[in-house]
Amino acid sequence: MKIVIVGNSVAAVNAIEAIREKDKISSITVVSDENYRAYSHPLLPSLVVGEVSRSEERFYYRRSGFYENNKVNTVLGKRVVKLDLEGKTVELDNGERLEYDKLLLACGGKPIKPPMEGLDLEGVHTLTNIKSADKLRKDLKNISHCVVVGGGLIGSKVAEKLAKKGIKVTLVELARRVLFPVLDDTGADYIHRELKGLGVTLMLNDSVSALDGDGRVGQVILKSGKKIDADGVVVAVGVAPNIDLAKDANLDVDRGIVVNDFMQTSNENVYAAGDVAQAYDIVMGLKRPIPILPLAARQGRVAALNMLGMDVKYKGGFPMNSMTIGKTSFISAGIVDSEELEVLSIQKGDEYRKFLVDEDNRLKGMILINNIEKAGMFNWMIQNRFDVSWIKDTFLNSDFGWKYFNKAFRVLRLDRKIK
Amino acid sequence: MKIVKIREDNCIFCHLCEVACIVEHSQSKDIIKAFKREERPIARCTVEFNYPVSLSVMCRHCDDAPCIEACQNGSMHRDERGYVVVNPETCVGCWMCIMACPYGVIKRDTRREKWGLSTKCDLCPDRVIPACVEACPNEALTFEEL
Repeated sequence: MKIVIVGNSVAAVNAIEAIREKDKISSITVVSDENYRAYSHPLLPSLVVGEVSRSEERFYYRRSGFYENNKVNTVLGKRVVKLDLEGKTVELDNGERLEYDKLLLACGGKPIKPPMEGLDLEGVHTLTNIKSADKLRKDLKNISHCVVVGGGLIGSKVAEKLAKKGIKVTLVELARRVLFPVLDDTGADYIHRELKGLGVTLMLNDSVSALDGDGRVGQVILKSGKKIDADGVVVAVGVAPNIDLAKDANLDVDRGIVVNDFMQTSNENVYAAGDVAQAYDIVMGLKRPIPILPLAARQGRVAALNMLGMDVKYKGGFPMNSMTIGKTSFISAGIVDSEELEVLSIQKGDEYRKFLVDEDNRLKGMILINNIEKAGMFNWMIQNRFDVSWIKDTFLNSDFGWKYFNKAFRVLRLDRKIK
Repeated sequence: MKIVKIREDNCIFCHLCEVACIVEHSQSKDIIKAFKREERPIARCTVEFNYPVSLSVMCRHCDDAPCIEACQNGSMHRDERGYVVVNPETCVGCWMCIMACPYGVIKRDTRREKWGLSTKCDLCPDRVIPACVEACPNEALTFEEL
């Protein structure tokens, strides 16, 4: 069988590994417009400030030799321009065509361009791949005051890294707090304090209306009318799934490429996984793209196994994030702010714990700040729609652990008898 | 594949598993040096106590380890023996493995200069019987097929 994978990051690599666990014979071809082996996207802000370099093994998603060891043909630095679903081929930007029996679309996302003037000025950057990170890294010497547009995961992280590097940073965020979907007000305040402590100026409830400058950006004009003199801008207002290829080929697309429980698109020979796919969100109870690394890995595996003809269901996922800014580490998951759900929360010193439970006593979301070690136990409860009625009283204990569970359940779980 | 089976009825909350784990993962593997002179390793097992319950918990070495799937750069991996281990050379301490671990048995070591280090049971690669199992006076931890 001929398998072609479009994209070369988390979903693609996990698909390759899953295929090779079962099938040593089928040919696997990976096509990516990036000319590098798969790398760690969360490390891009560190790459910009030189904490990690491209010569270090830790920057990469798999150790060198991965493609050779798994007998993968790599077609790197080439873009797929067209899918021919009838003829089962993909067309590359150099006119070459690759035949497939099964196709996996794992082409990720692209940075969203906010509607503002001056995005093409020199000194205006995004940060979603090696190329953009390199461009920003080389431009750092020209930047004394950087405006970061967007206080999401990338924006907050890059603001922290640049501030630590000694660059004056202003972070502009449309919402009333940074990390809006990931933390609530109380949680975000921990991050606000860390960022301010590093010297970052926060401009919340505001957004950028235009970037101004002659050749190079010189001034950032906000909706509120404020003007900030700046010689560098990082635009980090989010990523959108790369759906153009699928759309042009008339596959079902919504915000991402729509897939069924087997990660199969509306064409039976085409699968999608990772940031580009719109799969089931178990907490919200609907299909939507959730662009996080662990789900891309899982989806890549599930898609690959189904491409091989196995019958493996994707059980659905939900957003979860782990992040450290300054000295504050947090892990949050699912719904973090709600009027309808029962909220259990406690704040003591550095620590903040919050849990959201629905009327059926299912955990729907949580935030843990600075005492994060048991986060995965809660995520297991969310994933498995675990009845928490008898144990939720212990969630707020800092020493939450196995000792609070019912004995029979605990023994079965720790013996790996319940998955 | 053998892992450490937890027999909580036999646990007497003595913490000897933690002591043995710390010694085994120390530089010298000498108890005095490990506790008094060298940088003390973090115990990979944790004894929990909530009267009358007590038990020692450590990595269950899942078949479909979610920590491996969540790792951002392949540091969390399966070794030749089939056990789930961290490569300290590449771990950057993002704690995504902690976020994914359904057993809550991965700990943070934040003492390195640059990168944090995810710390978990490696099932003692230098030993035939894991240190915690050998140290347990009561067979509250045994090494066997589950």
